[in-house]
Amino acid sequence: MTKPIALQSEKLTKYFYDPVKMPVLRDITMEVHKGEFVSIVGKSGCGKSTLLYVLSTMDRDYEGTLTINGTKVTGLDVNELAKIRNSSIGFVFQFHYLLPDFSCLKNVMIPGLRLGKYSYKEVEDRAYQKLKMFGVEDQALKMASKLSGGQQQRVAIARALINDPAIIMGDEPTGNLDSKNTGIVFDLFQQLSREFGQTLITVTHDEDFARRSDRIIEMADGEIKDHGH
Amino acid sequence: MKLNVNSDIAFTYLWSRKKQTIIAAAGVMFGISMYIFMQSLMKGTNDYFEKNSFSNTAHIRIYNENKVADTHLLDSSFKDKSTKILVNPKQVQQSLGLTNPFGLIHSIWKDPQVAAVTPQVSATVLYTSGSVRLNGNMVGVNIVEEDKMFDVKGNMVKGDFRDLNRVNNGILIGKGIADKLSLHVGDNITVTAGATPRIMRVVGIFATTVVQVDNTKSYVNISQAQNLVGKDRSYVTDIKVNLHDYNNAPVKARELEKMTGYKAEDWVQANEQLKAAFKIRAVILNSVIGVILLVAGFGIYNILNMTIYEKIKEIAILKATGFSGGAVISIFLQQAIYIGLIGAVIGLILGFNLTLAVSKIYIGAGNLKYLPMSFYWPHYVQGVVFGIITTVAAGYFPAKKASKVDPVTIIRG
Ligand SMILES: Nc1ncnc2c1ncn2[C@@H]1O[C@H](COP(=O)(O)OP(=O)(O)OP(=O)(O)O)[C@@H](O)[C@H]1O
Ligand SMILES: [Mg+2]
Repeated sequence: MTKPIALQSEKLTKYFYDPVKMPVLRDITMEVHKGEFVSIVGKSGCGKSTLLYVLSTMDRDYEGTLTINGTKVTGLDVNELAKIRNSSIGFVFQFHYLLPDFSCLKNVMIPGLRLGKYSYKEVEDRAYQKLKMFGVEDQALKMASKLSGGQQQRVAIARALINDPAIIMGDEPTGNLDSKNTGIVFDLFQQLSREFGQTLITVTHDEDFARRSDRIIEMADGEIKDHGH
Repeated sequence: MKLNVNSDIAFTYLWSRKKQTIIAAAGVMFGISMYIFMQSLMKGTNDYFEKNSFSNTAHIRIYNENKVADTHLLDSSFKDKSTKILVNPKQVQQSLGLTNPFGLIHSIWKDPQVAAVTPQVSATVLYTSGSVRLNGNMVGVNIVEEDKMFDVKGNMVKGDFRDLNRVNNGILIGKGIADKLSLHVGDNITVTAGATPRIMRVVGIFATTVVQVDNTKSYVNISQAQNLVGKDRSYVTDIKVNLHDYNNAPVKARELEKMTGYKAEDWVQANEQLKAAFKIRAVILNSVIGVILLVAGFGIYNILNMTIYEKIKEIAILKATGFSGGAVISIFLQQAIYIGLIGAVIGLILGFNLTLAVSKIYIGAGNLKYLPMSFYWPHYVQGVVFGIITTVAAGYFPAKKASKVDPVTIIRG
C-alpha cells in the first residue's frame, strides 16, 4: 500500500492525574491511510475514547506528536485547531450531544455555516441530503431534544459529515442503533471511504461492524496490542 | 433568515430564554429611561434658573466699586523709588456715579460680541403710602431697552410697562410692595431717595419668581431717577451689557474692567449659588444613574453567567465542531448587545414619554407654570451610548469565560 497517510501519531502518551498520576495512553504510534476505514476495539476503560479525543485535536494535553494530512498539529494554538476540526474532521460523540434549542436541520447546518464555504441555501440543501441518507429527513424541523436516542445519533452522524471532512471519527457511532440502521451506517461509511476517499476511524464494540471494516486496531490498557496489518 | 451563524445562535439562545431576556432588557430600559428623564428634568430646571437669573441679572454689570485706599496719590507726588506704606487703610467713599458713562457706552457698543448696552441709575429708597413705610431699591432705566434685556413685559401682572414713558411720574412696583402698601394701578406712592420725597403714580405691577425682588424693586424712567437723587443727566450708576453668547461673559468682563477701569461683574460671579446648585444636582443625578446602570449591568451579567452555566455542554460541542474562542465570545457578547439594544430602544421611548408627561404637570408658582423639562437630543444619544457600554462591559466577562471552556473536559463529563 502506497496510499498517502491521512493521520499519523508518534509515541503518544497521556496521563490522568486524578487521583494519582497514571498513564492512560502509552507510546501510541500508529498511522491511518487516506481512504482507509479503521475500527478501534478494546475493553471498556482501555482508553479508546481518550485516544480519539487526542487524534481529533480536541485534547491537547499529551506527549508525542500528531500529524494530520501532512501537517504537524501538535503545538498549534486552540483557534488554529478549531479551524482544522471545522474543515477537516467530523466527530461523532459517544453520547451524541446535539444542541437542544435548535432543530435537527440547524444542528447539522451549524458547522457548515461556520465553515462559510457554501451559501446558507446550499448548506441547508446539503444538510437535508445528509439527513436523508440516514433516514431522518422527516425529523429535520423537530427540536433536537424531541428525538429518540437512535434518531439523535443519526442526526449527529449527519452533522459530522456536513463539511465533507477528510477524516471522520466516531466514538461508538452505532451504539444506539438497531441492526438495520447499523447496516445503513456501515454501508455509508464504506461508501465514503471507497468512493470519496474519506478516512474513517471508529471505536466500536460491535464485532461484526469491526470485522467488516478495512482494519482492526486492538487496544488494551492504553497500548495498541495489534495494528491489524 | 440569512444571518451570520454566530448571530443566529445568539438569537436562538435569547429566544429560547424569553423570560430572562425580557427581565435583562427591562433593567436596561429602566436605566436608560431614568437617565433621559432625569437629565431632561435637570437640564430643564437648570436652563430655567439660568434664564430666570438673566431676567434680573445682565450678562455683565459695570459699576463703581468702593476701593480700599491705596498709595497712588503718594506715588504721584513722591516720584522716587521708595516704598510707601499706608497704615490702617480705609474704604474710600467715592461717588457712585460713573465718569463719562455715555462715552463708555459708546465704546462698549463697538464690540461686535455685544448685543445690548443700557445705562441705569440705582438708588436705595423709602416707599411710603399712608403711614406704612418700606425700604427698597429703585432703578432708573430706559424701560424699552430694559424689556429687551430682561423681558419686563413677561413679568407684568397689571398695567403696561410702556406707560413709564407716557406718564411723567410713573413707577412700576413689585407685587410685594403693592401688597404690603395695598396699592393698585393708578394709586399714588411717595418715594424718598434723597432729601425730598416725591409723589409717583403706580402705572404697573410686576412679579418675578424672586420674592426678595418683588418686595423691594421698582422701575422708574432714568431721568426721573436722576431727579429723585438730585443729580444731573450724566449721572449713571451702572452700565448693563448683554452679549450674543452669555458663556463669553467672564472673559469679556475682564476686558471691560481693563477698558473702563470700573468693576465689571459677570453673571457667573453674580450667581455663584446658582452654579453651585447646578453642580450639586449634577453629582446627585450622576450617582443615581450610575447606580441604576450598575444594577442593570449586574442583571445582564447574571443572566449570561447562568446561560453559560446551563449551556456549557453546548459550548463544548460548538468548540468541538470548530468554533474558535473568538466565535464563542461573539455569540455571548451579541446576546448582551441585543439585550442592550432592545432595552435602549424601549428606554428611549419610555424616557421621552415620561419627560413629555411630566412637562405637562402644572406647577403655577410665580412665572413657572409647568415643570421645566428640556427635550435635548444629545441626552438620548448619551443614554443609548451608556446603555450599550454597560451591556458590553457586563457581557464581556461571561463571554470570555465561555470562550475558555475546554471541550474535552466537558464532553468526557
Ligand atoms: N477525567 C479523568 N480523570 C481520570 N481518569 C479518567 C478520566 N477520564 C477517563 N479516565 C480513565 O481513563 C481510562 C480510559 O477512559 P476512556 O473513556 O478512554 O475509556 P474507553 O476505552 O473509551 O471506555 P468505554 O469503552 O467504556 O467507552 C478509564 O480507566 C477511565 O477511568
Ligand atoms: Mg469510550
